[in-house]
Amino acid sequence: MSTAAVRAVSLVQRFGPHVALGPLDLELPAGARLAVLGGNGAGKTTLLRMLATAARPASGRLEVLGLDAVRQRDRLRARLGHLGHQVGLYPALTALENLEFFAELHGLGRPAAADALALVRLDARAGARAERLSRGQQQRLALARALLHRPELLVLDEPDASLDAEGRALLAGLFAGRTVVMATHDTALAREVCDRALLLRAGRAAGDPWTLRVVGAEG
Amino acid sequence: MTENRTLYALTLGATAAMLLAALLIFFYAPQDALEGPVQRIFYLHVGSAVAAFGSFALVLAGGVAFLWRDSIRGDRLARASALVGLVFTTNTFVMGMIWAKPIWNWDPSQTWDARLTSTAALWVIYAGYLLVRRFATPGRPAMRLAAVVGIVGFVDVPIVYFSVEWWRTLHPGPVLIAPGGPQLPPEMLVTALVTTLAVGLLASVMIAVRYRIEARRDEVEDRAVAAQLQPSGTRAS
Amino acid sequence: MRFLAVALAVARKDVRCELRGRELLPALVQFVVLALVIANFAFDVDLVQGPRLSPGILWLVLVFAGLVAFGRAFAGEKDSGSLEAVLLTPAGATAVFAGKTIAAAAMLVACEAVLLPAMAVFLGSPISPLVVATVLLATIGMAALGCLFAALAAQTRARELLLPVLALPIWVPFVVVGGRAVQLAMAGQSPSALPLASQPLLVLADFDILFLVVACLAARFVLDD
Repeated sequence: MSTAAVRAVSLVQRFGPHVALGPLDLELPAGARLAVLGGNGAGKTTLLRMLATAARPASGRLEVLGLDAVRQRDRLRARLGHLGHQVGLYPALTALENLEFFAELHGLGRPAAADALALVRLDARAGARAERLSRGQQQRLALARALLHRPELLVLDEPDASLDAEGRALLAGLFAGRTVVMATHDTALAREVCDRALLLRAGRAAGDPWTLRVVGAEG
Repeated sequence: MTENRTLYALTLGATAAMLLAALLIFFYAPQDALEGPVQRIFYLHVGSAVAAFGSFALVLAGGVAFLWRDSIRGDRLARASALVGLVFTTNTFVMGMIWAKPIWNWDPSQTWDARLTSTAALWVIYAGYLLVRRFATPGRPAMRLAAVVGIVGFVDVPIVYFSVEWWRTLHPGPVLIAPGGPQLPPEMLVTALVTTLAVGLLASVMIAVRYRIEARRDEVEDRAVAAQLQPSGTRAS
Repeated sequence: MRFLAVALAVARKDVRCELRGRELLPALVQFVVLALVIANFAFDVDLVQGPRLSPGILWLVLVFAGLVAFGRAFAGEKDSGSLEAVLLTPAGATAVFAGKTIAAAAMLVACEAVLLPAMAVFLGSPISPLVVATVLLATIGMAALGCLFAALAAQTRARELLLPVLALPIWVPFVVVGGRAVQLAMAGQSPSALPLASQPLLVLADFDILFLVVACLAARFVLDD
């Protein structure tokens, strides 16, 4: 594909007088799987939120999937999936009901919810209330929600923090055919599922993204 | 700087206008036969009310400009005008109470007046505007949320005016813009108009000064941000 | 229409969560009963005074119940992150807001279904269909504005302070007009004796339409950046 999945030019985010991120330049081809690394407060979440259109950049240009991240974000939101720090589920609703609600918001039918549930291997827990699921299962459910509408781009903020072993095993499969930007502290996970990495330090890129050697290719 | 000169000229003009208004109020306007000398508060009271409403109209305009066109200047104007509007609303309120006391032997604990309530509500809304600015995340969120408060709050303004017509109230009916034409003798009318213009001018000066202060503040913040964006700029993580 | 589908889906979800969670409604009902008991003693209400004080007590209880009901509409979702997840779908902030307002209004109406009969029983208030209509009409407008400011306050550091500060003055027209209407109705006077422009129910309906439109237009800027 000729359109870059992400193109950021002089991207800046600020909260009042404090600059949280920037200026940042980034270009990601379609199908790239980027791991965003860095300590706490480095700006990983800030960057991811802008990519997911959850926050608006203070200045600079951001194009995601060829669309302007601010002006065309309604169209963009139908094509990307986001997993943030909070699961954002409804505790009183069952796993399936949670997904069915979000499917309705996307304009999809009920089968899409069941499919997404199966994708993350939670069909056995379809009738369990979200509050009764384990933290790892909730995270998987949130992941299913991010995948409901078959997005081209996945933006995941530290999924490894609460994902259980089963969830981690799924990730590589779920990333197939998609562009992924994943913030993580876990470099081993990054090497497993991503093909490049970007290190952030105090809101700036410490160098250009470097290619990760895919584990297994070494034999 | 030229902008300083305009501001000084405006300030002088406002001072002169207020002095002229004072002269008219105390020496030109006839004494009201029924109410006596305390009636002269009416001119400043009405002037303050008009200045307050005008300021809140500017808050509305600034907010709309910000939401529609991303205009930081619009937001700055809204910031400046809200504060000044609040001051003049306080003025209107207090003067209204001072005027009412001897006239109707008015005891707030015993009689309820629609316009009093509406003006108090207006005051609280714009105090809320300033509180929202203070407690929201600084930057765009604060501007956007405050703009909404300013716009929705402005809907209260016509209600303040029409409340006199709708409800049983002790407040005198509209005397300036009444169906049969102004019901005041011409001297009072002139005094009222001049005073209103003078107070309006004063409010404009206050808003202009406030705007400048906000502009300087924004400048300082922008410079701090620019410093952080320099390649070697230090950042608190 | 996508807008309607989304709004109803959100409203249905909120009602379902509330029926399963059962946190807000019992709290509201408890509040209402408690408020009436306190009013009974605080105002030294007997069956003679009851009808005279009723309009005031009614609006007092309604306003505070409203603050509780609308405050909850957004605070929980904002904290758990589900509000953001919802806004990151193509659903649209306005439709989501409309849905939440419908659900919150429904909660308040459920609360009123307890309040009005309770007032009739404990305070001897003459609750006529006119009173019910007035309360319902006022609820719509109050819900629109209450939810707008609740959504706004939920995004600040001081939401418990800001919601009453913003909502109470904006609700004044409803309380003024509604209070007058209820007063007339409880005194047995027919408001149709008033000139058309002053008909309280019509004025309330006008307010409702105005504030519903304003709130829906503003919702986009409050919820989304």
